[in-house]
Amino acid sequence: MLREVWSGSIEILRAMWITLKHFFRPPVTNQYPDDRVPVYPRFRARHVLKRYENGLERCIGCSLCAAACPTDCILVIAAENTEENRRSPGERYAEVYEINLLRCIFCGYCAEACPTEAIVLEHDFELSTHNRWDAIITQEELLEPHEPDYILIRDDQVWVEPKWGHLTK
Amino acid sequence: MTVTLTIDGRQATVPKGTLIVEAAKQVGIEIPVFCYHPKLEPVGMCRMCLVTVGTPLVNRATGQSQLDADGLPIIRWFPKPQTACTMSVSEGMVVITDSQEVAADRKAILEFLLTSHPLDCPVCDKGGECPLQDLTYRHGPGVSRFDYDSKHHSAKRYPLGDLIVLDRERCILCARCTRFQSEIAQDPVLAIENRGRDARIVSYSNPVFDSHYSGNTTDICPVGALTSRDFRFHARAWELTNIPSLCNHCGVGCNTVLSTRRGQIARIMPRQNETVNEVWICDKGRFGHHFNSSPYRLTMPLIRRDGELVEASWDDALQHVASRLTSIIEAHGSDSIGGIAGACLPNEDLYLFQKFLREVIGTHNVDHRVGLSATFEDDTVYAVGVGTGTDLGRVGRDTAFLVIGSDLDQEAPILYLRVAGAARHGATLITAGGRPTKLDKQSNHSLRYRYGTATHLLLGMIHVILEANLTGNETVPHRVNGLNELRANVADWAPERVAEITGVPPDEIRAAARAFGEAKNGIVLYGPEGLGWGNGTQGTSWEAGSPLRQAVANLVTLTGFIGRPNNGVIAVLPHANSRGAADLGVVPDRLPGYVPAERPGLNAQEMLGGGVRALLVAGADPLAGVTLADELEFLVVQELFLTQTAQQADVILPAAALAERDGTFTNLERWVQRFDPGLPVPGQARPDWTIIRQLAVLLGADWAYATVGGVLAEMAQAIPLYRGMSYEQLSQPVSLSRRMSHYIYAGMSFQAEMREGMQWPALAEDGSAKLELDWLDPPAPPAEGDGFTLVAPRVLYDGGTLLGQAEILGTRLVQPHIALSSADAAALGVLDGQGLQVSANGQSISLPARVDGLVPQGVVAIPRNLKGAPAESLLGEGRIFSRVKVVKG
Ligand code: SF4
Ligand code: SF4
Ligand code: SF4
Ligand code: SF4
Ligand code: FES
Repeated sequence: MLREVWSGSIEILRAMWITLKHFFRPPVTNQYPDDRVPVYPRFRARHVLKRYENGLERCIGCSLCAAACPTDCILVIAAENTEENRRSPGERYAEVYEINLLRCIFCGYCAEACPTEAIVLEHDFELSTHNRWDAIITQEELLEPHEPDYILIRDDQVWVEPKWGHLTK
Repeated sequence: MTVTLTIDGRQATVPKGTLIVEAAKQVGIEIPVFCYHPKLEPVGMCRMCLVTVGTPLVNRATGQSQLDADGLPIIRWFPKPQTACTMSVSEGMVVITDSQEVAADRKAILEFLLTSHPLDCPVCDKGGECPLQDLTYRHGPGVSRFDYDSKHHSAKRYPLGDLIVLDRERCILCARCTRFQSEIAQDPVLAIENRGRDARIVSYSNPVFDSHYSGNTTDICPVGALTSRDFRFHARAWELTNIPSLCNHCGVGCNTVLSTRRGQIARIMPRQNETVNEVWICDKGRFGHHFNSSPYRLTMPLIRRDGELVEASWDDALQHVASRLTSIIEAHGSDSIGGIAGACLPNEDLYLFQKFLREVIGTHNVDHRVGLSATFEDDTVYAVGVGTGTDLGRVGRDTAFLVIGSDLDQEAPILYLRVAGAARHGATLITAGGRPTKLDKQSNHSLRYRYGTATHLLLGMIHVILEANLTGNETVPHRVNGLNELRANVADWAPERVAEITGVPPDEIRAAARAFGEAKNGIVLYGPEGLGWGNGTQGTSWEAGSPLRQAVANLVTLTGFIGRPNNGVIAVLPHANSRGAADLGVVPDRLPGYVPAERPGLNAQEMLGGGVRALLVAGADPLAGVTLADELEFLVVQELFLTQTAQQADVILPAAALAERDGTFTNLERWVQRFDPGLPVPGQARPDWTIIRQLAVLLGADWAYATVGGVLAEMAQAIPLYRGMSYEQLSQPVSLSRRMSHYIYAGMSFQAEMREGMQWPALAEDGSAKLELDWLDPPAPPAEGDGFTLVAPRVLYDGGTLLGQAEILGTRLVQPHIALSSADAAALGVLDGQGLQVSANGQSISLPARVDGLVPQGVVAIPRNLKGAPAESLLGEGRIFSRVKVVKG
């Protein structure tokens, strides 16, 4: 009985010691959104549709991403390039390209399937929206802007990405 | 005669002459092929099908196989692998398809085929259902040893006409397309030009790839070299939902697959049915589907209020119709109501339509014979139609065809393919018509009569057959009544006399009649250009056709070409369900199943002429170019579009199109076939049968039909002809072994079931039925003299409500014109494209002239059913001919 009282008290003291120890340690919580942690290069978040250097879209509207997608959340409707309206090299481009991010599980199969490396999962993970419709992102939102060779992933910083997968500041 | 051989250790017993590929298929071994196609002559061009073959060593002295020490036959192997697609089997043959050598051969062939293949599968319409892709996966090398940069480049997007795009880089030169065009379509417009590395597919015709069957080459092309402009980039093969359907453009009833994506038809492909369309459809059926998604579809009920058509709810519209009908019946009796249904409606709708008028309203005023349907009044087929089990794809040498008054290539394209194919396989083909048609190229006897004398020609032929005693079948005299009377009547119609009237030389008549009478099996196809000859306005146009129909019936009856498969008559009716409309009694004087009505009602012309006060029109446009009779108080129209009839209606009820609903059609050969729904209905449109059912219920009938199948079940009970038919039976998939394999018939259409319809038996198949040989005097031959004969032939790409919307057919849609012979053009002093004025019956119209080598002298042709309906306005309802004056201007 006495032994039990003794060992119980020791345990309590030990626990309180741990608490006390942590009390003086610096906090681990990041003050998101003021304080942001850089993500790893191969982090997979919102998709981007890439372009070639000359500005033509890489996507050829082949629907292979949609076929690979386990949640069936990509819609591609293809159309034919004409001389007046050339969007991609070759004959075919995606006229409609939509991803339903509510269904996407960010598995990256789409990027894996893409024969032209047009669809790539990048680092924008801030995907909350005010309504469900906005969670379906369209081609306009997905396509990377034309000239620049960088992508904006934070409000306050620009991450230049000369080569895919290699992140510099 | 059968032959037994061994393929990979499995014993196969197959008919003599079978090719090794086919024999292998029968024991479940698939030999990969590219150029081989079971419908085409083998050529052995691609070498994909190489196998090792050996034959038993035969002792020349005894004719016995030599045996080795174990008592097994000694096999002598061919020193080189052989092409399984060109070699036919022989007794004791041993074939090896699973050895390492064969695998190496296949791999090498594929590596060669891919040396210059662009491998742009991601953007290729064939990707996902491509034999080259699949066979490379199975048998090909993973990598190529050839230099990527030295690939051969050529045109990627070469337009072969408006409908087909050729990618020359993808072409593997299997020649399936060129062989299809020359062997099956009989339009040899494609060819391979140059040799070796520069060989390429070209079209020599003008306009480019001028064929009604061009779309089929995209199906059989084993790669994505030929793709259809219509489907181009619309979907990947795996994104499509494939629904078994039927073509609704002509009476052949081709089985199709609707491949839909996102509620729209992405493409239409043939569905294999060996007894109807084999694996083909024509371009009208393939590309003429755009009306389904037209923005002009009716989507809401419309009621005329104060002269304007305004949208209304279904309840209001149906209530309105019911109350107006009730008050008109109360005031003027049931016979003041009438109904006209189009022959494009499915069987169930037609059945309910006539039942509604007959049982709910209480009148026999019901008809479908407007427009081209008015030419036909067909109960010939009821009595002596082709026997059940007829398969035009399998007839050959012992069969004779007589095609009279029909341009099959324009009127029933797939029937044309099948008849021309039979002729290619040795059947005797006799064509008779007022002008040459495409079928004449294949025919053994082509008889050119003066328009309006088709019946006389047949009487001449009957005369010869009776004279030569070619009545063949011994049983004929016991089965028919009136043989002696007929003998007496045709005695006057010796070929010499007939020749004077028809202009066909007597010996040609004799030769053709003998060829027909001497055959073992005989089939007569008759079409609109033999019918409808009447003098001016008296009588209905179908009465004018009766002598010809009777002559046709007499011809097959007395030759004994009745009641058996591959014998009898096929009427080349105009619409998808013309046969069903006749079967189901959508005529004033017959109940369903060809039972005469006791008290015939008014026919379409009488109803339109003011015989009724209220008219229900479903799926027909009888008032095109006609104004409403004053007596007509109330017009209800069920339609897809705001047709000319609908524009004059008091209530318009929007109907669902074929692709949006299910039902059955009966085709020319009396196959009842089922189609499934594939598209969402636009707006509030409803299937016609539900509209009719709801009206019936509002008028107090206790109709409780819940499904189309329920209506068919009632028809199967009530109509002896349709006995035993059931909706389930009609959707039974055909056994897998009868399908062509995927590599041969490329395309995913096999995801949609292959089904077979059910065929109702003609009266003659009942051996105890007595057949009548009636006599009808032939019409007076058309008067000679000045003026021309105006003919209104049917053309495939007309400007009708449905096809006029297929922009893709663009320049192929026939524009209104007057076709005439060059001699007449010279005499009138007109050149191609100049104006010409035609006048008849106090009407006249001006159209551009088109000098056409196929139009005989003294005849002008204005195709039917064009935009503005010029021919119909001159000829009047359902007429095909008239005497006209033609002047320049
Ligand atoms: S990441 Fe995965 S789930 Fe998301 S779109 Fe791509 S394939 Fe589909
Ligand atoms: S993103 Fe890639 S896989 Fe998807 S459609 Fe475009 S090219 Fe094809
Ligand atoms: S176009 Fe197609 S069908 Fe024609 S030869 Fe080339 S691969 Fe064969
Ligand atoms: S032949 Fe007739 S039924 Fe067949 S596809 Fe052509 S139009 Fe349709
Ligand atoms: S050579 Fe036999 S399939 Fe081409």
